[in-house]
Amino acid sequence: MSDAKAVADRLVKAKRLNALLTPPKDLRKSLNAQAAAARPTGVLYGMPVAVKDNICTLEFTTTCGSRILEGYRSPYEATAVVKLKAAGALIAGKTNCDEFAMGSSTEHSAYGRVLHPLDKTRVPGGSSGGSAALVAAGAVPAALGSETGGSVRQPAAFCGVVGMKPTYGRVSRYGLVAFGSSLDQIGVFGRSVHDAARVLSVISGRDPRDSTCEDRDPLRLPTVPESLQGFVIGLPREYFPPELDPAVRRACDGAIRLMKELGAAVREVSLPHTPYAVPTYYVIAPAEASSNLARYDGVRYGPRFDGAVDLRGLYRATRGQGFGPEVRRRILVGTYVLSSGYYDAYYKRAQQMRALIAQDFRNVFDRGVDLLFTPTVPSPAFKAGEKLSDPIAMYMSDIFTVTANLAGLPAMSLPIGRIKGLPIGGQLIGQAFLEDEMIEAAYALERVVPATDEV
Amino acid sequence: MSVSREEVLRIAQLAELDVEEEAWPDLVAQMSRIIDYVAQLSAVPANGGLRPFVPGPDAIRFRVDEVTPSGLAFGPDEFAPDFKEGFFVVPKLGQFE
Repeated sequence: MSDAKAVADRLVKAKRLNALLTPPKDLRKSLNAQAAAARPTGVLYGMPVAVKDNICTLEFTTTCGSRILEGYRSPYEATAVVKLKAAGALIAGKTNCDEFAMGSSTEHSAYGRVLHPLDKTRVPGGSSGGSAALVAAGAVPAALGSETGGSVRQPAAFCGVVGMKPTYGRVSRYGLVAFGSSLDQIGVFGRSVHDAARVLSVISGRDPRDSTCEDRDPLRLPTVPESLQGFVIGLPREYFPPELDPAVRRACDGAIRLMKELGAAVREVSLPHTPYAVPTYYVIAPAEASSNLARYDGVRYGPRFDGAVDLRGLYRATRGQGFGPEVRRRILVGTYVLSSGYYDAYYKRAQQMRALIAQDFRNVFDRGVDLLFTPTVPSPAFKAGEKLSDPIAMYMSDIFTVTANLAGLPAMSLPIGRIKGLPIGGQLIGQAFLEDEMIEAAYALERVVPATDEV
Repeated sequence: MSVSREEVLRIAQLAELDVEEEAWPDLVAQMSRIIDYVAQLSAVPANGGLRPFVPGPDAIRFRVDEVTPSGLAFGPDEFAPDFKEGFFVVPKLGQFE
């Protein structure tokens, strides 16, 4: 059981990262109350877990990193949060993120950018950059994030921590503010595979309040295996292009060699529709976002931006001033691809491509491959401001992560080395609802990989 | 530019978004760039017979049709910008074009 004061002190110490949106005073008060109420028999008793600010909590505001929800206090809490508390965990404040989880650098937050814990001139990745930074800085052992296109795995790779995205339907999304409903999942960050896995196990399982959550028991944690004997690991050639950063390639080669030494059979495979994954994602996700974000209109929640004389003026002023540039851009792109005359050319085509991408994975898994191993991101953490003016360059940092969201598969990133002090992540992609196999392989790899060594 | 200023203006109206004057040039350029980029999907031969992929359960589970308590810790009077006597208060409708 960690002392509530010590937990708060560690979080306040990491303040310079701008990773936490909860004011220190509110944090201390709540942690004291939570520690007094926590169930000592819970499996996460006393474990502080920071929560991304797009997941509803009763004790703290939920702003999604947006001005349009500034000061918003949710009247209910997310199922994942309820489950964490029931297991004795302490909700250790709300973490900064790209506005409505749209971004890959946590520079698109209305509350300022999050700093990379190892190099303040760089980004921590995104959109769950605040959660990743706090875990990497040692302020909390685990944190919740959310994934629509890689928003847990990409910042985990940049910050050198473990990030897991479960299968679509594994974890209830009740209380997760919706962005792209056919893609969104709550994910977990941990200092180690075990920390992330045990939090994931607690928040997983059926929930009558979310009809997209599958009727399954919570995830059972595997034991740490002695070897990877019997595992067939596929290396999709599209994820190792010639232009891949040489350091990322060296780190992956090292991890692959170690998996072979542990007894895994490794073979090259192909996921031929991978080059279309990013454009597919950037049609489907904005389309769903434009519809999900229609609810923010200054009528029911958040601040109202006044000056409007009629209802429509109120909508437009509130949304125009309340949403930041990236969210506005995505709402417009989404509205465009869904509008009459363009629907077939963009949205319908993207839906068909999504089916082909999912089929690629089925083909590989049907041929006896258990897991796929890839780099998580094509390069280490980039400089702040570097990709801000070019949305496509920013979107390309999701190139290896969006596929698992499009296909609904579980995937995770774990640190596999460093280049000039910056972490590099390796990604494991598993089969639907076989997170246990993915975690087993990650346990084995984590034990042997020199995660903080230069490659 | 694949998308004109007029088109973005029309879309912004559909999306109920005000865009300030100085943001227009960048917004139109970036929208064009994004639309050009995703247009590469149309280079792939269409396959009309392909079923769209939707993750999650194959069929929607229906729950028992009974009223359950909302479970809200407090009501809209605490989180709405303007709420009176059970209603969200809004300005008059005005003219819809």
